[in-house]
Amino acid sequence: MEFLKSIFVDPFVDMVAAPDFLLQVLWEGLVSGVLYALIALGFVLIFRSSRIFNFAQGIMVVFAALTLVGLHAAGLPAWVAFAATLGVMFLLAVGIERIVLRPLVNQPDIILFMATIGITLFLVGGGEIIFGGENKVMISDELGIPDGSLEFNPFDGFVLVEARDVTVVFGAVVMVGALLAFLNYSRMGRAIRALGDDHQAALSVGISLTTIWVLVWFLAGIIALMTGIAWGSRAGVSFALEIIALKALPVLMLGGLESITGAIVGGIAIGLLEKLFEIYWGQPLLGGSTEAWFAYVLALVVLLFRPQGLFGEKIIERV
Amino acid sequence: MAEISASSAELASIPALLERNARKYAARPAYREKEYGIWQSWTWLETHEEIRALALGMLDLGVAQGDHVAIIGANRPALYWSMVAAQMCGAVPVPLYQDAVAEEMAYVLEHCGARFVVAEDQEQVDKVLEIQDRVGHIEHIIYHDKRGMRKYDHSRMNALEDVQATGRAAHHRFEEELKRRTDALGYDDTCVMLYTSGTTGRPKGVVLSNRNIIEASKSSSEFDHLTEKESVLAYLPMAWVGDFIFSIGQAMWNGFCVNCPESAETMYENLHEIGPTYFFAPPRYFEQRITLLTIRMEDAGTFKKWLFKHFMEHARKVGPKLMDGEPVGFGDRMKYALGNVLVYGPVRNRAGMSNVRIGYTAGEAIGPEIFEFWRSLGINLKQLYGQTEASVFITQQPDGEVRADTVGVPSPGVEVKIGETGEVFYRSPGTFVEYYKNAESTASTKDPEGWVATGDAGFFEEGTGHLRIIDRAKDVGKMADGSLFAPKYVENKLKFYPNILEAVVFGGGRDRCCAFINIDLTAVGNWAERNNISYGSYQELAGHPQVLATVQEHVEEMNASLAEDKMLAGCQIHRFLILHKELDADDGELTRTRKVRRRIIEEKYADLITALYDGSGSVSTTTEVTYEDGRKGSISATLEIRDAEVAHVRAGTLEAAE
Amino acid sequence: MNELAPDTYLTDDGRKIGPPVLEMKNITLRFGGVTAIKDISFDIREGEIRAIIGPNGAGKSSMLNVINGFYHPQEGEIWFRGARRPSMKPYEVARQGIARTFQNIALFKGMSTLDNIMTGRNTMMKSGLLAQAIWWGKAEREEIYHREQVEKVIDFLEIQHIRKTPVGRLPYGLQKRVELGRALAAEPKLLLLDEPMAGMNVEEKEDMSRFILDVNDEFGTTIALIEHDMGVVMDISDRVVVMDYGRKIGDGTPEEVRSNPEVIDAYLGVSHD
Repeated sequence: MEFLKSIFVDPFVDMVAAPDFLLQVLWEGLVSGVLYALIALGFVLIFRSSRIFNFAQGIMVVFAALTLVGLHAAGLPAWVAFAATLGVMFLLAVGIERIVLRPLVNQPDIILFMATIGITLFLVGGGEIIFGGENKVMISDELGIPDGSLEFNPFDGFVLVEARDVTVVFGAVVMVGALLAFLNYSRMGRAIRALGDDHQAALSVGISLTTIWVLVWFLAGIIALMTGIAWGSRAGVSFALEIIALKALPVLMLGGLESITGAIVGGIAIGLLEKLFEIYWGQPLLGGSTEAWFAYVLALVVLLFRPQGLFGEKIIERV
Repeated sequence: MAEISASSAELASIPALLERNARKYAARPAYREKEYGIWQSWTWLETHEEIRALALGMLDLGVAQGDHVAIIGANRPALYWSMVAAQMCGAVPVPLYQDAVAEEMAYVLEHCGARFVVAEDQEQVDKVLEIQDRVGHIEHIIYHDKRGMRKYDHSRMNALEDVQATGRAAHHRFEEELKRRTDALGYDDTCVMLYTSGTTGRPKGVVLSNRNIIEASKSSSEFDHLTEKESVLAYLPMAWVGDFIFSIGQAMWNGFCVNCPESAETMYENLHEIGPTYFFAPPRYFEQRITLLTIRMEDAGTFKKWLFKHFMEHARKVGPKLMDGEPVGFGDRMKYALGNVLVYGPVRNRAGMSNVRIGYTAGEAIGPEIFEFWRSLGINLKQLYGQTEASVFITQQPDGEVRADTVGVPSPGVEVKIGETGEVFYRSPGTFVEYYKNAESTASTKDPEGWVATGDAGFFEEGTGHLRIIDRAKDVGKMADGSLFAPKYVENKLKFYPNILEAVVFGGGRDRCCAFINIDLTAVGNWAERNNISYGSYQELAGHPQVLATVQEHVEEMNASLAEDKMLAGCQIHRFLILHKELDADDGELTRTRKVRRRIIEEKYADLITALYDGSGSVSTTTEVTYEDGRKGSISATLEIRDAEVAHVRAGTLEAAE
Repeated sequence: MNELAPDTYLTDDGRKIGPPVLEMKNITLRFGGVTAIKDISFDIREGEIRAIIGPNGAGKSSMLNVINGFYHPQEGEIWFRGARRPSMKPYEVARQGIARTFQNIALFKGMSTLDNIMTGRNTMMKSGLLAQAIWWGKAEREEIYHREQVEKVIDFLEIQHIRKTPVGRLPYGLQKRVELGRALAAEPKLLLLDEPMAGMNVEEKEDMSRFILDVNDEFGTTIALIEHDMGVVMDISDRVVVMDYGRKIGDGTPEEVRSNPEVIDAYLGVSHD
């Protein structure tokens, strides 16, 4: 009885008793949720246009962040380093299309998936050789990301909000908005959606696979760089970031592999829920550290009831 | 009748009104049309220029005073302009129903002796060409849409914009002549000639003078306080008097804006985009929108459904009272306001009715539930009673005195009386001049004192002074036992069921009533889809046992309600069948305004009627049908005949209940 | 009357037929050991409606796929607009001005009618990626211009009412029309239609025939269409190629083809369904 109470009653009592603390927890959850959403977005973009499950999305985040920091350390001013990193990500996209994807056109999905694991290994190795394996500090100040924190006093309590996190959330919103506008209202955006919908038809209207693939990987690269900056400024830049990128998996299971809305909502939902669970259930009942596995369990439970994910398009075949 | 009302002495014609609008409302929008996905718009000044150019071009083509200019097509600004341009030239516009087959068109064109035809597009031009040899006197066709017209022989046809271009180029030559002709237009000159679809016999050309149209537009505008700020959607046939009054008469009198939809299929969407302030639609339209809404709600989530149901019930309770300014409690008002945000507003918006200040319906009886539904949403929907011969208006419902079962009080300037047989007569400044080339019909419809027989039976309600229409005078008959037979009344009651699209009731001079039913393919089809019942055609669905059972329930329910009224109890339906095809204007079974043509149906389906009365359980039949392109084919079917339960009236109970 | 250029003539209904746009010379296509097309030559003239007919499995679709660049013939030459065409990818062929539709409708089902037809103008849009990314003036103007062109196609095909509807939700007949719209939006020099009337009822077939004739008439578009059903095609084509088992067994006006004994054999002598 006491046990049931500690699961079903106590946490909620705590939440109501200290609403300011609840707000703090929700904010923290939202920030990590936004980052999960960004990584998932990179996956979705590539999957939609080429049916490739890009295992390398996580390492691209690390690679982009390392490049940025490395170029700055080599003496480039912060914003020049940023532009140069974008250039590197573009070259990476071109390289991947040329060397990996083009020769593997029309191969089974699993082969392409394996190829992205290859890309991952290459980037891990290459990154270590060029930039070294030790932890680095993100050049957030140099990039003009504000420091310090803001304090609010709701419910006669207090909530502390890092200015950096506000920037991250704001930046993510702007980027997602711009991405959606690009996909919906530009020629290339339409071409990306078209290619995802019907390959053969896309070819017949003169859409070139090569161009679109480079574009999509480049977009994924930009997203990776943004995620890298955001995460790096919170936790430093290291290869450990790649582990965090794996959180995108449960997000995708929840949101579906093809839905941009799914990626965003799924990411935020996982961020919020895992934080809430950790604070109100995990720490008092299970001794903490539930964030490492909670998202995966949640995704499994969802899959039991909705195999297509929460937002996955129900596939209805015309007979 | 002879005096001219002072205010309109100098505004004695549509072209005169146009000129005034071009001065007074120069920069206000006059016409809008959606084309290539964008609403194009013309101000009154631009409209004036366009119409003048067209009129000059028409003079160049040789349009003479007194000519009839036929106009065929869907609602397009250019076609409205053609009507006014023809008037400027001293000619008389004759709009035709655009869905008429060539055959029907031939009669009208021949009868009015048109030398010029303005056609919307290739489809209409083809129809005119098909009958040109027979009609003989058609000299020139002006078409609006150039598509597909390139390879036609242009010796006797021109594109409308080219005619305008010629007119612009030739303005020095014709300006004086045009001014002379336009200035000569008097209050008693013909404004327009409209052919009535007529429930029987050949269509008749109703000649309406400038006085008729302008006086009717003026007094009806004053009745509803219309201004230049109104906006209407022109989507009903241009050949129908209502459209002429709303989109030309009242639009010109008030200087308001007429919007033309992109195509018939996009009408709902365009209505939503325009959000007219003044809107007319036949009862059928309001019914269809509810059917659509109901279907959408059935697919909605549980919460949405509950919300809709809950607030609609509340609206039904207090909505009409609020509209009529009756006292309503504070709590109910607040709840209505909440419902307005959550339900009524969105529904109005979806239906394109957000800005409607005045809505009218007419043409046939509207179901009380349907009428109340729209009114409870806060839409000022009213009824009017009118006909072509009256320039529309005979009676109208004033704001605050709106009910489903009356058609209102006589419109301003209209006198109404009930004849000995119960037939409704009227006399007004809008009363038509004559039937063209048909003195006999003119004399039998309009007496020397100007009273016009409507052909409808009705009575004035005591106390309120509102007119109630029972049925067509000639259709109200007696059954074998002498009890009253009012088929239309019964048919309307049946049609109030969403599943029933059309009904035809028989029983005059017989011992009991029987009926043909047409199911509503949208409503029943949706039901079938939800219940996994597959069907390949209307015919198949109509013959489905479950559909028959549902219709039977409706019939029996209606019988029970008829039985409550001693006068009409004899009209209960004893047997019915569901027709194997939809009644169709192309087959002559309905008029173009979709009224049932009883006599034609009685002849065509004589075998089915016999079967209804001889007690047989089913009947096999073959029916000829006409496809949209004019080809003919036939449908064969075996129809099941169902007996419906009839409620017995015991005089005593009824007395007690009263 | 103007002198007509050499190699140009007028049809009975006054359309101008020009010199060949596309010439297929001795085309042979093999899949492994199977010969799908065997040494076939024919041409398609500017402004004409050219039909390729034949029973199922005659190699018609393969022929269309060769023209369109999906397949590459082992032997033979393709001449397009007076020049020999090297082996090309489908999107390169599309950019040269050859648009097509598919027998089984290949539309972007999740996208609206408008977006689908906009993709048809893909090859004609020029503004750079950066300009598009931030919707620079030029990109915006270009988008608006192309939207106008697309609206003309929508108007032409009378599909205004489904402008915003995802095509996956449309009935079959309308999907076919949208696909035609997408191909038309590319303002093609040569329009390939793969069984445009397959799976349609009589009324839909008549509508489609009318649109095909109107397209040819209004825009002077050269059209090559494949059909399995002889009836409709004979009424709307200027010239017909008949294929059977990968060979060409007839070529000429519908009348000529109809009286060709070998064609009669292929169609009537042996049942092929």
